[in-house]
Formats: sequence, C-alpha cells, structure tokens
Amino acid sequence: MVPAAPARVGSVPHPSPLATPPGRLASLGPVAQPLGRRGRTGRRQPARSPPPPMKFKDYYEVLGLARDATQDEVRHAYRKLARKFHPDVSKASDAEARFKEVGEAYAVLKDTEKRAAYDQVGRHWKSGQDFQPPPDWDAGFEFAGGGEAADGDASEFFEALFGRRGAAGPRASSRTRGRDHHAKVRIDLEDAFRGARRGVTLRLPTVDARGRVAMTERTLEVAIPKGIREGQHLRLAGQGDPGSGDGPPGDLYLEIAFNPHPRFRVEGRDVFVNLPLAPWEAALGASVTVPTPDGPVALTIPPDSSSGRRLRLKGRGLPGTPPGDLYVVLEVVLPPAGTAKAQAAYRAMAEAFEFNPRTPDEE
Amino acid sequence: MRQAAPPAIAGTIVEVEVHFTLVELCRACEADEESVVAWVLEGVLEPAGDSPGDWRFRGECLRRARMARRLAQDLGINPPGVALALDLLDEIARLRAR
Repeated sequence: MVPAAPARVGSVPHPSPLATPPGRLASLGPVAQPLGRRGRTGRRQPARSPPPPMKFKDYYEVLGLARDATQDEVRHAYRKLARKFHPDVSKASDAEARFKEVGEAYAVLKDTEKRAAYDQVGRHWKSGQDFQPPPDWDAGFEFAGGGEAADGDASEFFEALFGRRGAAGPRASSRTRGRDHHAKVRIDLEDAFRGARRGVTLRLPTVDARGRVAMTERTLEVAIPKGIREGQHLRLAGQGDPGSGDGPPGDLYLEIAFNPHPRFRVEGRDVFVNLPLAPWEAALGASVTVPTPDGPVALTIPPDSSSGRRLRLKGRGLPGTPPGDLYVVLEVVLPPAGTAKAQAAYRAMAEAFEFNPRTPDEE
Repeated sequence: MRQAAPPAIAGTIVEVEVHFTLVELCRACEADEESVVAWVLEGVLEPAGDSPGDWRFRGECLRRARMARRLAQDLGINPPGVALALDLLDEIARLRAR
C-alpha cells in the first residue's frame, strides 16, 4: 500500500483540537516551543527549530483603546471588532487571525486582575519588541486555572504571561461521555473523486494527574470517502475525548475543505474547467482532449461555438447519487499577430467577413 | 522499518447519512439544550418531530448549529439575533454565488 500523505490541514476557526500537518509544528509557536517561564504551564516539548523571539503584543492597540479605557469601553471595542472579524461573518483572508487576536486581547483586558498584571509588564515594552517575561513576573498574581483565551489557541505571548489554556469543561467523576471534537481537513479535489487515505494529526490539550495542561499529539489514518464535498463533515465515531468513569468516548468531526486547484473550480457537486480554443476550432468545430479530475476525456466542440459557452458532461462531476456534472467553459484565444504571415492571415479574414462585433449605436 | 500502515478509520458523511437527536446535536455543536431549543423556536433549525424528545435534525443542521453557537458565544447574540444573522449570511452567500 502506498504510504498515506499527510493531510493538509487547514486552520480551525474555533478549534477544540488543533489539527496540524506533521512536520510543521515548529512554525506553530504555542505548542512546540519552550515557554519563557518555568513550571506553571505544563510539560515542555522540544522545539524542532530555534524559536523566533517572542514579540510583545500591545492589547490596547489591538482593540484600538487608550490605556485608561474603562471596562465598558473595552467590552464595546471588543464587540465591535469581533463582529467585524468574526470568521463566520467576514470573508477577509486574515479575519480568523484578527478575530483570535482581538479575542486574546479581550480575554486579558476584560479581566481586571489580568489587565493589572499586563499593565505592569506593559510599561517596559512597545508593540512588536522582542519580549521575555521578567524573572519575577507574576509575583503577587495567581491566575487560577491557567489562561483563558477567547475560545481558541492562545499566542505564545499570552501563554508566557498567563499560562496555557486548560482543557475545557468540568471533569465529572462519574460515568460521562467524552466531548466531541472538531477539526478542519484540507484535501485535494482528486481525493474526493477517488477516495483517499489521509494522516490527520490532532493536538489536544490534556490535563495530567497534577492538573497541569499539556498538549498531546495524535495521528489518525482517515479514509476519505469518495464523493465527499466541500463543507461536509466526516464523523469518526469514538475518536473524540475519552469518557470518564466507564462512559463512552466522544466523536471526532472533520470538516472537509478543498485545496485550491490550478485547473478546476468546484461548486457543490459540479466541477468547472476552462478550455482554451483557437478561433478556427471554435468556428469549425473540433475534437479536443479535456482534462477532468478523473483523467482526460475526448470532447467534440460543435461548430460556431463562442467564448463563454458551457458544455456539460453529465455525471462527470463529483461522484455520488446523483453525481455532479462537469462544465467545460470555452474560451477562444486569439493567436498573436506578430509575424507578417499572421498579419496577412488576419487581413484575409477581414476581407472574407463582413463582420462588425459592435452594435451600430456603440460606434 | 515501519510496520504495515494501520487500517484507516472510516467515517460517516454527516450531511448524507446522519440524523441527530437533540442530545446528539447539542454535543456535536457544543451548545446546551436550552440554546438549541431556543434556536429551533426561532426557526434557525428545523427538525422533524413534534416535541424536543422526538426531534430529528438533518445532517446539514450541524453546520448551522455550530455557526449559531459561535455567533451566540462570541458576539453575545440572543436567539432572534442569531436567526436574523444566519438568514442574512445565507442571503449574502446566495448573492456571492451569482
């Protein structure tokens, strides 16, 4: 069997488990890098490359606030920016990152105790400067339960100051079902056409016997079913959190996204492909080879075709019941008139046709 | 040398094969029952069945319920607001698709 390639795993707007491709962990600061201070946040994991210096984050700047903003102003600014950058609302490519940043800033500034601690540190740094927590940092502060970023993975900076976020949810002592987990998985369109095996690496916060939080990694080999579509969810029964007592484990949900394809565009179960044609192929008709995700097929272009015409290959879209269709969108491309011979041919065309592509009132 | 690859785990496509009970949907979208019932009453989710105990939600409800939960949690939106936001987001998606 061919070894499964690692799944390209996308960002998770609201991650419970974080899904990351194996081998890229070093770029994800919070997990793979040693923290700036000892103890508190749990087990260190070896960094796979030297960590980049941590930058100081100005949480006031993130929320657009003055340092003496009232708690009401903090909440107001947060709500406004959260609406603007919410990943379900905004289509901006950096929305998710901005939303997390805003959430993290709010998690600190809304909490008067954290805010006071942050203000104490913040006197000595400016936004973007390399940052190391002072050795006696947090003397006099005790953040029970570790840090709490707004529903997501906190930055390295946040964790250095406030500790790592604990695994959410009360630990019930009796028989309780484990929590369900969600992650996003990016696959290639071809995987959805043929079915595939993908290694998916999940990072889960776990709490050890002493109540410390550590990230553990788990890789699953997942069968991607043929015909799965973008935005659909794959449920893996029993692959969520373990239950407590003799309770059953939760389920794992993988949301499917497609990697952008250089050639094909997908809408639901239909697939679109552009097909460039020479003018004479479009005019006279032709038999051409068209790429499809399932391999090339021969396609007859009817005479008198023009740019933008769509030819449908029924059932050649994503497999399923019913399967989707493949739409071939014709695009007539003019050959360059760079040589004397080519110019002569265009002149001959001009003489042969009494053709005005514009309607008279456009002239 | 590594041993032969472990067998791949097969999943179920939620949107095709799954119907949720109220309890299952709550777990999967990480919301409490009270919130999900409130969203149903506002028309955000439309289960089959007459009473909450009999409700069956189609697999497509998962995506919508999770969006509802995130909007409620992240932005502090109440159930009528969630319903309005989701309707408007659907409308925007339809317009964009044209």
